[in-house]
Amino acid sequence: MNRVRILLVTAAIAVGIGLWFAFTAPVDRLQGEFSRIVNIHAPFLWVAFLAFGVTALASIMWLVKKTRGWDRLGEASAELGVVFTVAGLFTGMVWGQAVWGRAWDWGDARLATTAVMLFVYVGYLALRRATPDPEMRARRSAILGAVAVVQVPLVYFSVYMFRTLHQTPSIRPDGATMPEEMLVALLVNFLAITYLYFALLMARLYVARAEEAVMVDGSLAGDAVKPPRLSEVEDV
Amino acid sequence: MSFWDQALEIARVDLRIERRVGDVLRIILPFAVVALLVFPLALGVDLSAISRLGPAVFWAIGILFGMQVALRQAANDRTERRDLYSLLGLDPAARFAGRSLSGSVLMIGFLAVLLVATVILYGPDLPAGWPGPVLIGLVLTGIGLTELGTLAGEVTAGLRNRTALASLIVAPLALPLVIGGSQTLESLARDAGILPWLLLLVATDLALAVAGVALARPLEEASR
Repeated sequence: MNRVRILLVTAAIAVGIGLWFAFTAPVDRLQGEFSRIVNIHAPFLWVAFLAFGVTALASIMWLVKKTRGWDRLGEASAELGVVFTVAGLFTGMVWGQAVWGRAWDWGDARLATTAVMLFVYVGYLALRRATPDPEMRARRSAILGAVAVVQVPLVYFSVYMFRTLHQTPSIRPDGATMPEEMLVALLVNFLAITYLYFALLMARLYVARAEEAVMVDGSLAGDAVKPPRLSEVEDV
Repeated sequence: MSFWDQALEIARVDLRIERRVGDVLRIILPFAVVALLVFPLALGVDLSAISRLGPAVFWAIGILFGMQVALRQAANDRTERRDLYSLLGLDPAARFAGRSLSGSVLMIGFLAVLLVATVILYGPDLPAGWPGPVLIGLVLTGIGLTELGTLAGEVTAGLRNRTALASLIVAPLALPLVIGGSQTLESLARDAGILPWLLLLVATDLALAVAGVALARPLEEASR
């Protein structure tokens, strides 16, 4: 069993343990069973912030070092950030439907700004897809990745900037605003989903390296004929 | 030539090209005004609703069509012009500054005309003393949107689907500008302080300017 497989299996076990904690922790008196969703909703979005932070860091490092590894890391982390943002939005909307009576509420600034943040990184991935040359793709996406991260603090601080339905963080420097059993369940899920992100990131990097190896080493029929590059066709 | 001389020269050339091509004045501005006209027709003849929605429609159309101003043809250098700038030893940061300067002039003019059109067409209920703060918000939003559009235009230069892709990049990243611009008027109407929103706009403009200057060289290389 290779290292990536071990990481994925252990991540699945960690998520299973997290879910067990989520389902056995006491529930909120008013929200009932739906309060359990928060145990995965908040960690999903924390990991999304982390993933976009890693993308920004990898982008800056690419601009400094110009090595392929940083570009791969930025792309892989952005892809995962998009997936975890969608998961966070979806779980938040399910919770909102149950507790607020509607899945999407414009009174919640965090919800709207998170959706906008998602599209920033959808644009980042679209830019990568639209740029055929690997060197150019790395350069362009590194610039965007370094700039795009400004959206993350805006999403985080939106609950302080606006009158909003969304609550402020429950875990603060001066202590937590929830019973200990609920806090433990939430923290276990934070750890499990962060580990899941790490495992998926390693798996994605493994796939990216394998893809590149095929692109570089694999001879294909017609290789002797060099097709014109897209940019050359456009210039004509 | 000093940095600012280079930047001013680029801005002057850009504005001259724009005067000849006329993208903003002849195409984008009329299109934006048509959009202002279409919206109430879709809403129906509800004068109070039209009046209430006026500021929101202004910002929505201003930002969406403003992106087209930022990505106008005159700001899209062809390979030959880029090569010429490189051979002349033009500082990439000066090119970014000059392009942002010319774009800001056009953008602020565009938004100002759109604002007048909105006031005439929608008759929004504006609070007393609105012109000053709204004008400051409009100028700061215009500068930020231009900087963002210039960055996105460079990042997507030469791509087949440049306009659509750059718009996809600019629209969500313009969120702090939309919030800052729209909340200035909102806060004024609620008799609340507008300073935090103006500061948000100033901070965004400065952050984009720093990013544009710091990333000018990689941007230059990326757009080849």
